[in-house]
Amino acid sequence: MKVMKISRTDTSGKYLFKQFIQWVLFALLIAVCFVMETAGSSVKPLLLIPLALCISAHTGEIQSATVGTVCGLLLDVACNQLIGYHAIGLLMACVVVSLLHGYFLRNRFMNMFWLTAIYTMAEGYVDFLLYYSIWGLEDVNLIYMNIFLPSGIMTIISMIPIYLLVKWIAEICGSRRNYELEKTIIHF
Amino acid sequence: MEHFLKSKKLKAILIIMALLTGILAYAVSAGGYTIPAVDILNTIASPFQKASNAISGKVEYALNLYQNAEDGYEENEALKKEIAELHKQLVKYEQVQQELDELKSFVGIKETYSDFVITSPCEVTGYVTNDPFYAFNIDCGKNEGISLYDPVVTEEGLVGVITKLGDNTATVTTILSPDLSIAVYCSTTKDHGVLNGSVGLAMQGMTKLLYLDKDTALKKDRVILTSGENGLFPKGYVVGYVNDVGTDDSGLTACASVKPSADVRNLHMVVVVTDFEGKGVESHENQQN
Repeated sequence: MKVMKISRTDTSGKYLFKQFIQWVLFALLIAVCFVMETAGSSVKPLLLIPLALCISAHTGEIQSATVGTVCGLLLDVACNQLIGYHAIGLLMACVVVSLLHGYFLRNRFMNMFWLTAIYTMAEGYVDFLLYYSIWGLEDVNLIYMNIFLPSGIMTIISMIPIYLLVKWIAEICGSRRNYELEKTIIHF
Repeated sequence: MEHFLKSKKLKAILIIMALLTGILAYAVSAGGYTIPAVDILNTIASPFQKASNAISGKVEYALNLYQNAEDGYEENEALKKEIAELHKQLVKYEQVQQELDELKSFVGIKETYSDFVITSPCEVTGYVTNDPFYAFNIDCGKNEGISLYDPVVTEEGLVGVITKLGDNTATVTTILSPDLSIAVYCSTTKDHGVLNGSVGLAMQGMTKLLYLDKDTALKKDRVILTSGENGLFPKGYVVGYVNDVGTDDSGLTACASVKPSADVRNLHMVVVVTDFEGKGVESHENQQN
């Protein structure tokens, strides 16, 4: 009788090594995005937002929460805002993205695009409301039109290369979900 | 999904959130002083930020040069290659020259204002991301003797005040910000007023002079100096030049737009005035009011 054999693509050791490389690359990406965010005085995209969300689409809930926290704290430092302010928001967004990709959504570009766009614009508006609009400054809408809106649009556009880069890293290093699926098939 | 809601993962995430909320609450109560972890992070990130700033500065410089060359493209085509070669040499030379000029200028401050106690030149490590009022970070902090609300200057003029302070880093709120109110006067007409940033003018790199007499003799290009009335800023330091004079919305007083004499949006080095004559002392006129 012929038995169908399901072979694993990676041994456990190899898998762990690839995971290690993956996280080193993610950490490097985070560092590069942070440095780019703090260069110059012109309006810039908040690169850490799409990066954290894209990484979360490829990782589990705890890892997503950690990435969201780290990127959020770095964003707080770059934007000179209260420490923890962005971190809490990004942590929740990253966990939601991870859960959505784990249970309801397929990891597709358009899904990620809409999630990034919604979070970026919502975060930008809340930011504007709490840091500027609430204080009743004269011509305060100019800040939204000249800073928050262009920055938000740039952030959403920057999501495209970031998504492709993160997807490429996750594919060559083998994402956690693929490994778990593999393990489930083997046990089955 | 149900599995996740009952799992330990959710508890762990909630613990992280509680921890972040605690940090947030602590940061709120810190009152201008950065929490140690942020100071360490800033210190680590500082060299990378400086490098990144240097690169972005070079790119901006190259882009500007290209744009200017484009205007005279036809006339200069034959010389373009030569310019490109000279440009490479110039970039390096100008950087060295700029640093030298900046250092020389800070010596000038000490010579002109003998009562000033100033720090050694502090490097601008980076501007706060997307801040409409161009707040920036410097690589000096408490260890250099800086205190909260110390004035920050360049040789050209007043730049802002220290509003966040760590051991080795500090954040400067610029004179373009509506958070700062500075008592000033005009050196020629002796008109007194209050300099207060406004959103619309900050976008153009300018700030607003309020509460001037309705019949003010203030005109374009008049020099505006600090009056030192509240003891927060030294008396007689240049702030900027009048750009335009008008009447304010109420129609009761006049106001003016002021162009800061220091290019607040493109700073590389600044000094912090840690002490000066009259620091913390309100003037007699002010006390009576």
